[in-house]
Amino acid sequence: MVKDDGQLYTIEGVAAGMIMLFTAYLVLGATSVYTPGDTHISDMQIEQTGTDALRMMNTQVNGTSGTSPLHDIIYNNGASGFNGPEFNTLFLNYVNNRTGSETDDLHYSASVTYYDINNRTTESLPLTSNRNLTGGEHPVRVTEWVIVNKQFPGTNLVENRSVLVEVLLWRD
Amino acid sequence: MTDDAGNLSIDFLAGFTIFMVALIYVATLIPGLFIGLQSRTIDYDAVAYRTGVILAEDPGQPSNPSWEAPYTDPSTILRFGLALSKDTPNILSTAKINSFFCSTEFVYPNDYQSRAVFGDYPYQFNISLQIAGDNYTRSVGDILPEGYGYSRRVVKIKETSNATIGLAQIQQYYWSNETNLTYAPETHIFSIYLNCTNLAENGPDYNNPAYQINPIDPLGEGVVINLTDLDQTTCESTASQKFHPPSGCNGGSQPTINLSSISIYQSRPLPEGTGRAWSQIIPSTNHATYEVYIDGGTTPYNSTESTEFPVNVTNNVSLFIFPASLNSWSFGDPNSDLNITMQFELSHGDWFLNSTKNQPDGAFEYNYDPANVSQPYLRDGVMEVAVW
Repeated sequence: MVKDDGQLYTIEGVAAGMIMLFTAYLVLGATSVYTPGDTHISDMQIEQTGTDALRMMNTQVNGTSGTSPLHDIIYNNGASGFNGPEFNTLFLNYVNNRTGSETDDLHYSASVTYYDINNRTTESLPLTSNRNLTGGEHPVRVTEWVIVNKQFPGTNLVENRSVLVEVLLWRD
Repeated sequence: MTDDAGNLSIDFLAGFTIFMVALIYVATLIPGLFIGLQSRTIDYDAVAYRTGVILAEDPGQPSNPSWEAPYTDPSTILRFGLALSKDTPNILSTAKINSFFCSTEFVYPNDYQSRAVFGDYPYQFNISLQIAGDNYTRSVGDILPEGYGYSRRVVKIKETSNATIGLAQIQQYYWSNETNLTYAPETHIFSIYLNCTNLAENGPDYNNPAYQINPIDPLGEGVVINLTDLDQTTCESTASQKFHPPSGCNGGSQPTINLSSISIYQSRPLPEGTGRAWSQIIPSTNHATYEVYIDGGTTPYNSTESTEFPVNVTNNVSLFIFPASLNSWSFGDPNSDLNITMQFELSHGDWFLNSTKNQPDGAFEYNYDPANVSQPYLRDGVMEVAVW
């Protein structure tokens, strides 16, 4: 009579366990999880692009023009607002251009901040935007200082003043 | 009767052993297992960002003379950088761009990994640059895979200056007449004068390198000179009648025009302010230092070592002096003056093209006057770096 003492009854269980372990290993090794901490990478890339764009807009095209396109946009627009198309066209051209045939799809909302010396307050004027912020976006903020000889609302003098061009920039 | 109390089941032994082996194995692999739980592109993005910063904001090393200069030993290049200078981030040099993307000058990937991408890991990469107005994209590297680290830089590219001298300028400055001559000569000399001190120190916008015309290192820029309308400056051409002396023409046919030589002269101040001494530099006539194009030709006339002047000219001559050539001819001395002289021989005496009336040194001055020279300007561009 053959006794069953010492028999390995659970060979199926052992095999299944090993298969499960191997599967778990493969799954864990192959999965890439986009963690909340990784969002800073795309934020940083957008911030870099926006900062570069504003810097290039604030660079004069040649040595004889004397002023940059960004200066001209702020200087030439009306004192109560800056709703002209120049900033929109130029800024979107800079931030959406890529080396291939495809373009990026970034959106922005820009404003100009200056110091009102009479009231000793900091005032902001909307510059322009290509989409309104609804609150659900996750924009980054980029800025550029511009020196412009102009009278702003609430100020008495036409004088050189530093104004801060501030842009909120995001990708849908 | 066999008593089985105290025995270990072989099932238990087998299961426990496998479990322990698996546990130890998994425990040792935990660091590797959790690599997949963070974004794979974190490292690649960081490397792409670093490479983008190096290329857009750094002039490279060595910087004076610059790494792209033809007389810089390639083995001494430590770092590529495309910026004009460290004071002009995001403004790139055309000469550096041409050198960086030249597949015959540097070998992909080794030259680029050790001088632009860096790191112990042999990253693969693709670097591309699109300049506004160009219908092609410059790039170096592999075809992009599905996932990669990425950096994009918005840049401007400095276009160097050029001068076009045509009928309007020749009429305005009476360059068809030679000083103190009462007869129409057969030999005519037209010179272009570069005051390196003035160019290096008196540029626009507080001498910003982005707008300088600076032939001396580290910028070591080249220049382009176009002489046009040459068939209209002789006495026989209708357009030139009003600025030629009426009695000066020999009459008859339009003379044959030959460009007989191109000479370079360099001067330095003599000690103790006793003037300047000019000496002739004899450049090679091949296209290593400059190219000369005749009548709109698409290949340079001096494309081979055996090129010799004279060459027949009908309408125009274009002289492309490469970056670093002017610096070589001036021996890197910022106090140098340079005189580039083109000599023409006509088949018979005529009024044609002569700069001896001009000051200084009887030459057309290549300077910051926009009426004389089309000044440097900046073109938009975008550069992308992909690393994987």
